[in-house]
Amino acid sequence: MTYIPAIPLLPALAFLALLPMSRAARNRAIWLPLGAIAVSLVLSVMAFAAVWPGGAEKAAEPVYHESIPIATVGEATIDLGLRLDPISSAMLIVITVVAMCVQVFSVGYMRKDPRVGWYYAVLSLFTAAMLALVLADNFLMLYIMWEIMGLCSYLLIGFWHEKEASRKAAIKAFLTTRVGDIGFAIGLFVMFVTVGSFEFDAVLGSAAEWAPGVATTVALLLLFGAMGKSAQVPLHVWLPDAMAGPTPASALIHAATMVAAGVYLVARSMPIFEASGVALQVVLAVGLITAIVGGLLALVQHDIKKVLAYSTISQLGYMFIGLGVGSVIAGMYHLITHAFFKSLLFLAAGVLIHAYHNQDMRKMGGAARALPITSAVFAVGSLALAGIFPFSGFWSKDEIILVLTKDGQYLAAAGALFAGFITAFYVARLWFRVFTRKPQAEGLHEAKIGKLAPMCVLAAITAGIGFFGPTLGYFLGHKIPWPDLVVAGVSSAVAMAGLAAGWWVYGRKGGEIDTGAVKARLGAIYSALVAKLYFDEMYERLAVRPFTRAASGLAVFDISRIDWLVDGAAKAWGAIARVSWRFDDRAVDGGVNGVAEAIWAFGKRARSIQSGRIQTYQQLALVAIVLLLVFVVVKG
Amino acid sequence: MNIGLEAFLGLSAVLFALGLYGALSKRSAVMVLMSLELMAVAVGLNLVAFSRFVTPEAMTGQAFAIFAMVVSAAEIGLALAIVIAIYRHARSVELSALERLKG
Amino acid sequence: MVPLLSMIVFLPLVGAIVTALMPRTMPTVPRVVALGFSVATLALATWALAIFDVDGGYQFVERFPWVPQVGIEYHLAVDGISMPIIALSALLTVLAILVSWKIDHRPAFYFTMIQLLAVGMTGVFAALDFVLFYLFWELVLVPMYFLIAIWGGARREYAAIKFFLYTLAGSVFMLVGIIALYITQGSFNIAELTALAANPDTALSYNLQFWIFAAFFLGFAVKVPVFPLHTWLPDAHVEAPTAGSVLLAGILLKMGTYGFIRISLPIMPEAAASQFWMWTLGILATVSIVYGAAVAFAQTDMKKLVAYSSVSHMGFVMLGIASGTQEGLDGAVFVMVAHGLITGMMFMLVGMVYERTHTRVISEINGLSSQTPIAGGLLAFASIASLGLPGLAGFPGELLTLLGAWRSDLWPGLVIISALGVLLAAAYMLWMVQRTVMGEAKGVVAKIRDLTAFEIATLAPLVVLIVALGVFWSLLLRYVTPAVQTVLSGMGV
Repeated sequence: MTYIPAIPLLPALAFLALLPMSRAARNRAIWLPLGAIAVSLVLSVMAFAAVWPGGAEKAAEPVYHESIPIATVGEATIDLGLRLDPISSAMLIVITVVAMCVQVFSVGYMRKDPRVGWYYAVLSLFTAAMLALVLADNFLMLYIMWEIMGLCSYLLIGFWHEKEASRKAAIKAFLTTRVGDIGFAIGLFVMFVTVGSFEFDAVLGSAAEWAPGVATTVALLLLFGAMGKSAQVPLHVWLPDAMAGPTPASALIHAATMVAAGVYLVARSMPIFEASGVALQVVLAVGLITAIVGGLLALVQHDIKKVLAYSTISQLGYMFIGLGVGSVIAGMYHLITHAFFKSLLFLAAGVLIHAYHNQDMRKMGGAARALPITSAVFAVGSLALAGIFPFSGFWSKDEIILVLTKDGQYLAAAGALFAGFITAFYVARLWFRVFTRKPQAEGLHEAKIGKLAPMCVLAAITAGIGFFGPTLGYFLGHKIPWPDLVVAGVSSAVAMAGLAAGWWVYGRKGGEIDTGAVKARLGAIYSALVAKLYFDEMYERLAVRPFTRAASGLAVFDISRIDWLVDGAAKAWGAIARVSWRFDDRAVDGGVNGVAEAIWAFGKRARSIQSGRIQTYQQLALVAIVLLLVFVVVKG
Repeated sequence: MNIGLEAFLGLSAVLFALGLYGALSKRSAVMVLMSLELMAVAVGLNLVAFSRFVTPEAMTGQAFAIFAMVVSAAEIGLALAIVIAIYRHARSVELSALERLKG
Repeated sequence: MVPLLSMIVFLPLVGAIVTALMPRTMPTVPRVVALGFSVATLALATWALAIFDVDGGYQFVERFPWVPQVGIEYHLAVDGISMPIIALSALLTVLAILVSWKIDHRPAFYFTMIQLLAVGMTGVFAALDFVLFYLFWELVLVPMYFLIAIWGGARREYAAIKFFLYTLAGSVFMLVGIIALYITQGSFNIAELTALAANPDTALSYNLQFWIFAAFFLGFAVKVPVFPLHTWLPDAHVEAPTAGSVLLAGILLKMGTYGFIRISLPIMPEAAASQFWMWTLGILATVSIVYGAAVAFAQTDMKKLVAYSSVSHMGFVMLGIASGTQEGLDGAVFVMVAHGLITGMMFMLVGMVYERTHTRVISEINGLSSQTPIAGGLLAFASIASLGLPGLAGFPGELLTLLGAWRSDLWPGLVIISALGVLLAAAYMLWMVQRTVMGEAKGVVAKIRDLTAFEIATLAPLVVLIVALGVFWSLLLRYVTPAVQTVLSGMGV
């Protein structure tokens, strides 16, 4: 098992190798990350194979566990360590397969971009970080990788940084997720102060013995971090904007892997959430709200990528619902299936965008005839997303609703079903808009094999998991008898109803439907949805603008008040100096000078007596003598 | 009638006052010198008078008077020589012309 | 035995004298001489770092009577806290000379001043005698004053005088503290005073500690600088030449926080642990973090932005010091070193961009990555390191200071607010990157050339160290942790 560290290291090395190259050399060297991810994929499959027999039973004792210390702080040691267990091995497969498909797809998709080499470098770094994240054996390393992924996400969203929208979206994504990360970090502090370690084993093993308040605090703080990364309401606002990045990158980062890291984090720290209890309720509530809000917002989008982005938000909410009843399997299962079918949908959307030179669904149409293979794989992905038997999404959604009903959370189950209905509805809306109606553009052409092949692989997996759904479930640790026919029947019926409703609104009459009447009737709700439920506006008003105003205010304050005080002190000192100088000048020195001046003035007066005339002197002498005599006589 | 000391002193005082007035008010150096002589004569008269009336047996006052007359004669000779030198220099014996010592 | 520390401290002085004697007819020789001496100093410092025994306490001790009548000694020694900072200052001196390679206005004087600065900087961290310490402390002011006043920007005289007077005013209070300690304890020796303070029989009374702590606090807080004593910093940074900014941010600011760790905490332990001073330091640290970040956000001048970011980062150091915990002090020293590397790199890059564009106004610089991918990339790298991305040197220190503060008796709210500073750091740094590095190259940027190989080589050591320290924290912490343990055990923690 010594090859495990190579799985994340290879893409990391590919990144390091590309980094110092010139732009031209980098663009030619994209085979390097491709090769690295291919080898990682093979190694991941080997790792998965080593875990496969028995699967969940190996969860207690990791198959592989190695760590190296990077620092000693007091008594605590901080390690970088890797551990392999069923969940991480499944995640390895998901990440490497999707990354491989995306990278192969990008060869064709990004070929003409002058900075394709940089794109591959960042993609490699991202893959390495994500692989290291799922292999991490402690929370700190998880956090480190989590942040590095955030950077990669930032770089890829802002990849076309010539566009203002890309730059804005990139910074928004980084900052919004970092809001969550602060919660995560503080959660780490509480954890470390409580346990004295970041190790999964030490932390999770002792979680049950923590004071309930501590467990709730840590769980909620970790959840806050997860909400940022996994775009849960109310921290979801960055994900739709993140679609400004290249579509294949969106497929990998903003659909399949990075956004699922939050789910992974909650799944990993499930013992803490269970120790708290309250926190699980919060997870469930967050998941439900997000699943429904995300779905509703997807209904009114015209940009095909944004529909998929909101769909991702909604599906991530679904995963949180599964975790919210304490079922790691439900959450992780949906994470895995979602990763495949959503990245498939994104890649296919990329093909459509290239074909139509547009992202607006209103300007698409007729793709089913012009792009048959893309349409076919898109259909597979859509049906999986809608949760139609036997595609992969069916199994994982079913699992979530199953655990909800087993737990007695019927209200939540109803909510989840409602979200499922909306999902099916917007899937139908997208389908009938883009694929069936009259083409709104000309010169449509199918993608080349380089792009089709990865999509087909993903489609095959999506369909394939469908046929082996229970097997994967049991591998992850599913224990209840499956499928429950009632639950499966209800959820399938809801999904079909959603699709049918979508057809009713958008699919009849060849897709040429005027939805104005519906919009008019929904009025306020519709405009609220179009305005994205005012989340962005709220943040703009409550956080961004007050902060920028405060910052400028403080900058002025710094100069006009604090620096003014300093300068004022200097000026006051100057004034004191001047006053004391004057005092010195007038009083002290003035005294000295004054004596001199008095003598001078006296001399000036005395001069006039000094007429030079002897007789005057004599007169004076006479007067003096007379005065003297008078004096003597009077005195005498 | 017997002339008393007071009469001599009174004459001396009149002479001295006349001399003093002349020395302080006359503009010509020669007149000033003459006035100075008057004052010197007044002093000499005093000396003789005091000698005669206070100590008649000793002749000290008379001897002093003769000394003083000799000294003032020499003095006036010197002074007149200076006046002549000034006259040569300034073409005047007016004292107002001699203000070089003015401060 | 070789007087290694004296050589590290005074080799630049020899260099300064040699440089000062250079005739004006040879304007390119001083820089070569200065580089030679500083590289030799760096080699010595690296050697010292290599043979340093991390568990050995004070090392390379040199102790001779100097003015025996009043007990003043020539006493140099380093421990795990000062050793890395001395090595850092030796490195930054070399880099400061390299970035000043093209100085043509009175080069001999310039390089003399840089080397004189190096003497003071290393001396402060090596001195264990208060008089010697104070001497080096004040020695630093003079060359820095000249660097700003002669080679500075438009308002250089104002900035230089402000810098000089402000820090001088602070250090006068420190001098009062030193004298007070001498009168009460009868020693100028920092190590001896520490030992006296650790022993309850000889320790000062709490009241006395309180006031002496206050005196030292004023001296050090100005240097750090702590809000609201920080306003000399932006002016000094903006007006100083690049090398001046690098050394100012890289080393001079650390003198203040080093003083807290070396002097205030161990010699006045009861005062340092008192509610009053812990809260004062903690609140001022938090305010510095958030306030510096907010003001940095609103800056239009790149150098000013980096200067205010220094206020924010030094706030983290103060927070770690206020915590008085192992993690907090480890983190504080880590931030000191990391901030020296990262901010040094930022200032060097801003200087290199300024040389080409003749502007530092953010709105006039755009699209560096399009026109000059290396400069833009490195600026983005430094910004990302500065905002505390894990894997780079900015992260471990801030994590540890926050962790230490959380563990201490400080109010957790302070830690949460300080953690917001990390978010704000991302905001101002990325917004600066967004405006300068990203986008299309327009205006002044459209004609400039990318960094030369010489410039890249100047920056390379910093890049390597930033990554290395970010990944292998123990490279630094192995020195710091035992020394901090000693400090804390003396304080009775």
